[in-house]
Amino acid sequence: MTLMQTLTEKAKNLAVRSPWIYRINAGSCNGCDVECATTALIPRYDVERLGCQYCGSPRHADIVLITGPLTARIKEDVLRVFAEIPDPKVTVAVGVCPISGGIFRESYAVNAEVDHYLPVDINVPGCPPRPQAIIEGVAQAIALWRQRI
Amino acid sequence: MNTLKILLRNLVRGPSTVPFPFAPAWTPERMRGRIEFKLSSCTGCRACEQVCAPGAIRFDKTPEGLRFMMWHNTCVFCGLCEFYCPTDAIRNGNDWHMAHAVGEKYGMAIRETIPYVACTACGMKALASAPNPAGVKPPFTPEEIEQQRNLCPACRKKALAERGVQP
Repeated sequence: MTLMQTLTEKAKNLAVRSPWIYRINAGSCNGCDVECATTALIPRYDVERLGCQYCGSPRHADIVLITGPLTARIKEDVLRVFAEIPDPKVTVAVGVCPISGGIFRESYAVNAEVDHYLPVDINVPGCPPRPQAIIEGVAQAIALWRQRI
Repeated sequence: MNTLKILLRNLVRGPSTVPFPFAPAWTPERMRGRIEFKLSSCTGCRACEQVCAPGAIRFDKTPEGLRFMMWHNTCVFCGLCEFYCPTDAIRNGNDWHMAHAVGEKYGMAIRETIPYVACTACGMKALASAPNPAGVKPPFTPEEIEQQRNLCPACRKKALAERGVQP
């Protein structure tokens, strides 16, 4: 094994412990965003126990949380930001809006379902999902991400 | 002094973080979660389809009977279906473990069919739905419900009239 391979292996073993989470609001009503923030910031739910942390830049992200039904106005921006996220990544759709459109299903102003445009891996239905449900989804995403890296 | 009090309280009570996902999370008894459907109580009145805001509930007429479909992935847990159901056939359970891989997306649904039967009195094709209990006094007994289930609408009316109640 060359030195490069050894270093890559070491870096992988370190990285699997701490995926970074990035949040994309694709035209959400802010309900799911509040729940996502609650999941991370309030000590009662504390998603950081799973080793993950919210990050501010899409270029640092490993797990992407998408909320909102992908409105017509925001679609291009979401696709552009999503393209900036490096592979391997795991995408989690939070709330019923990105999964099916939810209450906005079949509206002219939304491009739901998000998985027609982006490769979604995990769905967390709810309107909004409770923080524990988001943690459950993130836990599934971490398990998937460990296989991918 | 205050610090000591907080320190002691924290030592006694332990961390305030809920242990989920490493241990089960507490769920309120009446939390509105995953929809549960009881086919044997459904009257087929389609009130739930009418009031469902995101259109998660759909009824279709099929050759076998009246098909009930409900997709969990578009349900917003508003509880209107439970509120308007005359027989409590549809209700919000308190299950919230619904995170799933995207491959199971369309499997997250309830698909049930109220079958057609031949009316026991006149032999006409009729839906084997539960009778609507609205305004029936005294209320139906379980045996009466089973009896009514196998009757066509006209024969149900007749049976109710013989029972001494205006339908």
